[in-house]
Amino acid sequence: MPCSSHTRNPFTAIETPAVGVTVENLSKSFGDHVVLHDVSFSVEPGEIFVLMGPSGTGKSVLLKHIVGLEAPSSGRVLVNGHDALAKETREQVRMAMVFQSGALFNSLTVYDNLALYPREHRVSNEAGIREKVMHALQILSLEDTAQKFPSELSGGMKKRVAIARALVMEPQLMLYDEPTSELDPVMSATISEIIASLKDEYHVTTLVVSHDRDLALNIADRVGIMMDGRLIFLGTPAELREPKDAQVAGFLYPKIDLKHPRFKKLET
Amino acid sequence: MKQLNSILEGFGSTLQLLVRTFSYIGSLPRQRARFIEQCYLIGYTTLPIVAILSFFIGAVLALQAGYSMQNFGAKQFIGSLVGLSMARELGPVMVAILLAGRVGSAITAELASMKVYQEVDALETMNIPPARMLVLPRLAAVLVMVPVLAIIADLVGWFGGAIVAKYTSFISIEPEAYFSVLRRYMKFQDVMNGLIKAETFGFGVVLVCCNIGLNTRGGPREIGAAVTRAVVVSLILILVLDYFVTKILL
Amino acid sequence: MNNAQQTARVGLFFILGLALTWVTFETLSGGTLFKNKGYTLVAGFESLKELKEGDEVRMAGVKIGSVEKTRLAGRRAEAVLRIDADAKIASDATASIVMAGLIGTNYIGIDLGTAGAAPLADGAEIQTRVTPDINTIMTEIGNLGQKLEGALSAFGTTLNGDGKGGGLFQKLDKIVTDNSDRVSTTMTNLQEITTKLNKGEGTLGKLINDPALHDELIAAVAEIKSTASQAKGFITDAQGIIAQVKSGQGALGTLVYDETMANNLRVTVTNIRSVSDKLAKGEGTLGKLINDDTLYNTAQSTLKKADRALDGLGDSGPITAVGIVANSLF
Ligand SMILES: Nc1ncnc2c1ncn2[C@@H]1O[C@H](COP(=O)(O)OP(=O)(O)OP(=O)(O)O)[C@@H](O)[C@H]1O
Ligand SMILES: [Mg+2]
Repeated sequence: MPCSSHTRNPFTAIETPAVGVTVENLSKSFGDHVVLHDVSFSVEPGEIFVLMGPSGTGKSVLLKHIVGLEAPSSGRVLVNGHDALAKETREQVRMAMVFQSGALFNSLTVYDNLALYPREHRVSNEAGIREKVMHALQILSLEDTAQKFPSELSGGMKKRVAIARALVMEPQLMLYDEPTSELDPVMSATISEIIASLKDEYHVTTLVVSHDRDLALNIADRVGIMMDGRLIFLGTPAELREPKDAQVAGFLYPKIDLKHPRFKKLET
Repeated sequence: MKQLNSILEGFGSTLQLLVRTFSYIGSLPRQRARFIEQCYLIGYTTLPIVAILSFFIGAVLALQAGYSMQNFGAKQFIGSLVGLSMARELGPVMVAILLAGRVGSAITAELASMKVYQEVDALETMNIPPARMLVLPRLAAVLVMVPVLAIIADLVGWFGGAIVAKYTSFISIEPEAYFSVLRRYMKFQDVMNGLIKAETFGFGVVLVCCNIGLNTRGGPREIGAAVTRAVVVSLILILVLDYFVTKILL
Repeated sequence: MNNAQQTARVGLFFILGLALTWVTFETLSGGTLFKNKGYTLVAGFESLKELKEGDEVRMAGVKIGSVEKTRLAGRRAEAVLRIDADAKIASDATASIVMAGLIGTNYIGIDLGTAGAAPLADGAEIQTRVTPDINTIMTEIGNLGQKLEGALSAFGTTLNGDGKGGGLFQKLDKIVTDNSDRVSTTMTNLQEITTKLNKGEGTLGKLINDPALHDELIAAVAEIKSTASQAKGFITDAQGIIAQVKSGQGALGTLVYDETMANNLRVTVTNIRSVSDKLAKGEGTLGKLINDDTLYNTAQSTLKKADRALDGLGDSGPITAVGIVANSLF
């Protein structure tokens, strides 16, 4: 049971060292459909790695490999040196993932959604858990929703609850699947700040899948861009500001050309 | 061949789930609240339908037995016939079928939707094994509640039979006579056998329904399909198990 | 619904289940688990027949306990009886396995024993008695039927004759027919005498003065009397004749006047006497019937056997048993 012996207040200094992630020659196909082609990269401990790419290129599938929910067709994924599929990995490394859809427990209230992990792992007593949970809800302006069920929330609220639930876990490795996709600009900025401060204060290793250019350029240590199941770019945000690759530039800074709309080009 | 394969696969994954669930048995005391909730859903809320159904099954047994036995002058044995059939066969099977229809389908629907909407994935990333949190309390609850349901089904069925035996004009056997014959030809062992059968069926039904729910892939349409499959598989399982358990217990 | 309420309901539900299971157990296994009150007795039998654990023990029809255990002990079967603490059983009371019906409902019946006898202590052995079970009774009834049939056909032959010598009734008939003239004359005469006697013409002294005739008459009458009483119940005809003779006793004095009448009477008396002599000596079939007791004994023993067999059916008796057979079959 990870870290059940020492109780920590939320957002205080972390005792456990940050962990790294290594993806080695990962390929994945569902039947005939090849989603990932020989993807290799690594995320250093305490780093913020932002993964970008067009819809449907396999970013979410890649994240699932890292938390061990999908098995690679070939290649492997190591988390802190352990195979991501092994059961021990999850026991040794505290990982949290914010699912693209939120994946909230629909039968539990927002409060119970957040309290589930600390309760199951007996992180602290009920009063301690309450403190943690309310703190996380406050950060994301969710205090009023504590007793609501997920079905009573808006899309953006669900996303924030999912982030809050991940925060309560106090993970060493945090995976976000499009955390800002449904949020207003201010809330998006808040999320970016939270991610950055988690890294600064607790050395949480972070992997963010996002289409949010501001987020990537402002808080990322490194950025990767995927296209058609391949990693086509790996570099710093500075490199990304003036992309040399036309494909990357076209993806990051698409022109909205009303005279020659893209969908009409398909017809010709 | 493909079908045989999928049957074997289902069988294997069910056993795996059973083994995994058993490995978490030590966490049951901590899951008291969940266990009680499942007891409530599986036992308490199923009681009315069990009572109604077993009453009428006992009643119709007495009626049919009375009708067919009046020609042999063996009417006075209705008590033992209803008693034994209820306790040894109909009580357990009926409770199990109700469980499959009422509880099993609900379990599959719930777990399948949790699976489809990635709640199960979320649990796994939280290092909370679904077998421990979702399956164990249900299996434990069914083990505790099914004998209660079965004994109630037996007794209500007996009384249903007694009432019909008394008030049907061509039978008219007093309850005292009915129950004295029932007592004479029944041992507690018969009731016990029935309880063991009910226990086996209930356990199998819940296990199978959990497994089918957790192995659902796809979207909402698959949730519906999973529920249908769970109920069908449960019913087949009940009758197949019935044969073997009866044979073993005889 | 809050958690506490749910827990309470589940708890109650579970307790209900336990209670019902317990009640069922108590009912079906005769309540041997928690009701170990009272004391035990051991009853040994050659065979326990249909007796099983949980059956009742009754004393004079009142339930006083149940069969706790049945077991084999060496060359006999034993039933351990659990008797209610307040039921005292005399040491000379005997237990037997009783059938309460043909469908195998048995219980142990214990009789009251003698009033002063010391009560049996815990663990003591009670005397037992073998009672016929339904199979024995059925066999017995079969045998009885055959015996009765044999006896009745022998009796029939005796009465109606076997075709050669003529039966008892034919012979009686013949006696009466042969003497009918004389008897009827006698009767007429007797009637006249009675009439005369009624008119006061009777001279009873004359009869008393003739001791020989008197003695003879007395002897004959006595003999007739005894014969008649023996034959009574079998031959009403003969009884009628003798009764008429008997009634003529007071009027015999008048016979003295009439010589022929006296002679006639004498002949008649002699005839009757010879008949009664023959009867007394055992000659003739009627005589045999009266004096030879083989036939009587045969009939008697047959009836006794029937009696015994029927006794064996115990409390309920054969009528109930047959009634139950009939009920259960029709
Ligand atoms: N379980 C699955 N079975 C079959 N195909 C799948 C499965 N999961 C994903 N895919 C396929 O893999 C491809 C990549 O899906 P994925 O969800 O990783 O896309 P994505 O990069 O996250 O896109 P988006 O930015 O829209 O979220 C898609 O074409 C999808 O159809
Ligand atoms: Mg995605």
